[in-house]
Amino acid sequence: MATVKIVVDWEICESNAQCMAEAPEVFRMQPDDTLELLQEQPDESLRHKVQAAAHACPKQAIQIQD
Amino acid sequence: MVAPVEEIYWDPYDVELDKNPHAVWRRLRDEYPVYRNEKYDFWALSRFADVQAALNNTKTFSSARGTILEYIGTDFGDLDVLIQMDPPAHTALRALVSRAFTPKRTAEMEDRIRAICGKLLDPHVGSSGFDYVTVFAQQLPSMVISSMLGVPESEGEEVRLKIDEIFHVDPQAGMINEVSINARLWMASYILNALEDRRKSPRDDLFTALSQAELTDEQGVTRKLTDPEACDFGGLLVGAGTETVARLLGWAAVTFPKHRDQLRLMAEDHSRIPGAVEELLRYEAPSPVQGRWTLNEVELHGTVIPAESKVLLLNGSAGRDERQYDNADTFDITREPRQHVSLGIGAHYCLGAALARLEGRIALQETVRRFPEWDVDMSTAVQAHTSTVRGWSSVPITL
Repeated sequence: MATVKIVVDWEICESNAQCMAEAPEVFRMQPDDTLELLQEQPDESLRHKVQAAAHACPKQAIQIQD
Repeated sequence: MVAPVEEIYWDPYDVELDKNPHAVWRRLRDEYPVYRNEKYDFWALSRFADVQAALNNTKTFSSARGTILEYIGTDFGDLDVLIQMDPPAHTALRALVSRAFTPKRTAEMEDRIRAICGKLLDPHVGSSGFDYVTVFAQQLPSMVISSMLGVPESEGEEVRLKIDEIFHVDPQAGMINEVSINARLWMASYILNALEDRRKSPRDDLFTALSQAELTDEQGVTRKLTDPEACDFGGLLVGAGTETVARLLGWAAVTFPKHRDQLRLMAEDHSRIPGAVEELLRYEAPSPVQGRWTLNEVELHGTVIPAESKVLLLNGSAGRDERQYDNADTFDITREPRQHVSLGIGAHYCLGAALARLEGRIALQETVRRFPEWDVDMSTAVQAHTSTVRGWSSVPITL
C-alpha cells in the first residue's frame, strides 16, 4: 500500500493550525495548543492534501520524506 | 544583466518611489527579477516565487548580518536578537518565547484589544472627523503590546511616549539620534526592572513568561533566557509590533474610501473583515523589504549574486506578482485566499502574526461599527518614510 511519509519538526511548529485546515485527517490541534499527527504515514490518496498542508505551514515545519 | 540607471531605478530611500513603487516593482519582476543597485550596493528579488524561496533558504540568505539596508554587512558580534539570527541558534531562542504568541494564546487578548479600540475611538463618535493614524492606528498596537507585557495602566502613557521616541526620526541624523537612543536605553532599563520584579512576584503577563521561560534541549541541557536576551526580545517586540500594525491600519484608512463598495460590504458583513485584513497585507505590505546577506554565491534567472552580498527581498512586490495572483493590482477583499509573504514565511515568519491579524480584525470591526463610512482628502495625508516600514504617519478622515 502506497503511503506518504510525514516528518514534523516539533521545535519549529508554532500551532498555527494551517495544516489542520488543509488536511484534518492527518493534523489536529489538541486542547493544550500542541499539534497531533494523527497518521505518520497516511495513504497515498491523501498526498495532495498533505502537500497543501506542508505548503501552507507558515513555519515550513512539515516535510514529506519519500 | 545589470540595468542601466536611466532605464530603471529603485532604492528603498527614494521618497517619490516610496509613494508608489508598484510600477517600478512590476518592471523589476518582468525585466530585472534579479536587480542590481550599484549606488547602495545591493541586489533585489521582486518575484513572489523568488522571495518565498529566499525567505525559506536561511542557509544562503542569512539574517545574522542585519536585515535593514542601513546595517546589512555589519558584524554585530554576540547580539542575540531573534530577527538577526540564523538557525540553529535562532530556532532554540524562538522556541523559548513562541508559546506566548500562538493563535490560541493570542486570542486571549481579544477583549482587551476591543476595550482599547473603544477607548480610542469613542471620543470621536459624532465628530466631523479625526486623524485615524495619530489618534488610533499609532496608539492601539503600543497599548496592546504594553498590556501583554504587563505594563501597569498607570505607567502605560509613559511607556507609550517612550515607544514613540524610539521611532523618532531626526531630519539630519535619521533613525539613530539622541532621542531614539535615550528612549531605547530607558526601555532596556524598564524591561530589566520588570523582569527582576516578576522573578520575585510572578503575574499572568509576558514579562513573567519571559522571566520564567525555560527549554530543555535534546542533550538534556536546560536553557533559560538571559537578561540581555530578554531585554533585546522586549525591544524587538516593541520595535516589530507597533509601527507595523500602525501602518496596516493607516493603509486601511486610505484604501477603503477608494473602494466604497468594499467598505460598505465590510460594514454590513463583519465576516468579511478577516479577508479584508489579508488583502490589505497583500496589497500594501506594511513591511515590504527584508534584508539578507548571502553566505554563498547563488544563481537566479541567469544572474549570479556573489557571496557576501546585500540582498533585499521585496515581499511588498511579491504581493503584487501576477504570477501568484489574478488581477494582482486589484484590491478585492473577497478574493479567494492565496498565500502571501507580507508576514514572511519559514524561520522568521512574523512571531506576532496572530496578534497583528487579531488587532487588524478588531480595529476594523470597531471602526466600521462606529464609522461605517469615511472620506480622505489625500492632499492632507502624510506619508512616513523609514526604510523598515511603509505607510502613513497622518491620515485625517472626514465623517
